[in-house]
Amino acid sequence: MLEPLIIEGSKTNPTINLNKDANFFKIAGRSIVEDPNKFYMPVYEWLEEYVKNPNEDTKFQFDLEYFNSSSARQVMKLIMLLENIPHDKVTVVWLFEEGDEMAQERGEEIKQVSKLNFEITEYPLEDDDFEV
Amino acid sequence: MTTNSINTFFKILENDNICFAYRGSFNNAILSMATELVKNNIGEEHAKLKNKISFLMIESFQNIAKYADSDVLEEPTDESDFFMVRNIGSSFYIVSANLIENSKIDIVREKLEKVNTSDKKELNQLYKTVLTNKQLNEKGGAGLGFIEMVRKTKGKLPFDFVKINDEKSIFFMQINLTNPKTEKEGESLAGIDEVKLIHKMVAQDNILMYHRGNFTKEAVGPVLKMIEDNMSSMKFKAQKKAFHFLVEILQNISKHGYEIEDKREGLFLISMKNGQFEIGTGNYIANSKVENLKKQIEQVNNLSNDNLNNLYRKYLREGRVTDSGSAGLGLIDLARETDENINYEFEQLNDKYSFFSLTVKL
Repeated sequence: MLEPLIIEGSKTNPTINLNKDANFFKIAGRSIVEDPNKFYMPVYEWLEEYVKNPNEDTKFQFDLEYFNSSSARQVMKLIMLLENIPHDKVTVVWLFEEGDEMAQERGEEIKQVSKLNFEITEYPLEDDDFEV
Repeated sequence: MTTNSINTFFKILENDNICFAYRGSFNNAILSMATELVKNNIGEEHAKLKNKISFLMIESFQNIAKYADSDVLEEPTDESDFFMVRNIGSSFYIVSANLIENSKIDIVREKLEKVNTSDKKELNQLYKTVLTNKQLNEKGGAGLGFIEMVRKTKGKLPFDFVKINDEKSIFFMQINLTNPKTEKEGESLAGIDEVKLIHKMVAQDNILMYHRGNFTKEAVGPVLKMIEDNMSSMKFKAQKKAFHFLVEILQNISKHGYEIEDKREGLFLISMKNGQFEIGTGNYIANSKVENLKKQIEQVNNLSNDNLNNLYRKYLREGRVTDSGSAGLGLIDLARETDENINYEFEQLNDKYSFFSLTVKL
């Protein structure tokens, strides 16, 4: 039984929400952590367990507004772990906000390097809070 | 911008513990960014001055006439306002430079001379008079801001006007705030002539913003947070890209910069010309690291964009090879985003460390 892994996001690290029972897997926010190895270690370990006995259909979502170059490597390491799942049973869903070309391009590049199916999906802008 | 301009800047600001400057259109985001940055970089010994400095910064900001509505960074022009805050020794300086019509110079000069020659009692009296004066001009204040600045700092407001043409001049003003607890005998104040020189250099290089200070992990953290906060409104690719690499470069300085007395001193500049951003940085680096870094930059400078892409993708999967002469993901990424080479220079200063300057167009 694999317990869910939840790490709250901050201005420097993304929100991690990995839940096997709910079949929900998402990493969202920004990742500019100083020590990406340390931050992603528990995520990596969780996923290592998960891929040994994955669900029937895994949709793994990334919604990364921004990540620094050392985080890019960590993201790739997670995706490479997912490659251990039979490829017809796993999809990487790469989400980006409308008009965010940089996040889109980064997703397309990672797709090229990966062996998995990718869905690269744009979602509409959230309404910005107006300053009063 | 050239590596030479970074050198010159670093030398002019050599004694500054903090120096932040902004030139362009002003908005509230810039104001909160500047006050946060300075607050977070003020040394422990000056902690008690924090609120006063924020107050004076806001007061000085509001003195600068042109306020923009948008959060988008606009390219600075010859008419742009300039704002700078710096700390040298026991003193803080808040500086503004903005255009003024020549016809208004006499009125402003008169107000400033009045507050500069009044004692405490006269200032309080003046404050009351101005507050109750029914003939406030539409600009408001009638010098209330000036009176407040002098009352808060217990000092004079140095100022100057530099004529540009028959219609307009640049109005320079400086607020000096000295910490009496740390002040040493004979410590002299930085003058306004230095500001005029810096202003000229900033204009020449189309500089939008610069920051000189401590780049240790602890000090860079708040700067990065602030940049991140401001990034949420950056839907423009060029802007997001510029900030992306600024973050990378700052993290690099905080990791690899040479530490002198617990500080990693550094400087970064952002310039903008014809819609293109340029980032420049300067910091100390241990001599033992110079050869490898040089090799790495040369390596990425000599690769075509296709080869850079291939290398980036290879490292993404395989990780960086342990040979320290080969560039990491960050540097490869930087090289493929710039159309030109990464410009750099190392100047050996002694047997321990060198000065490393870098400029890159994005």
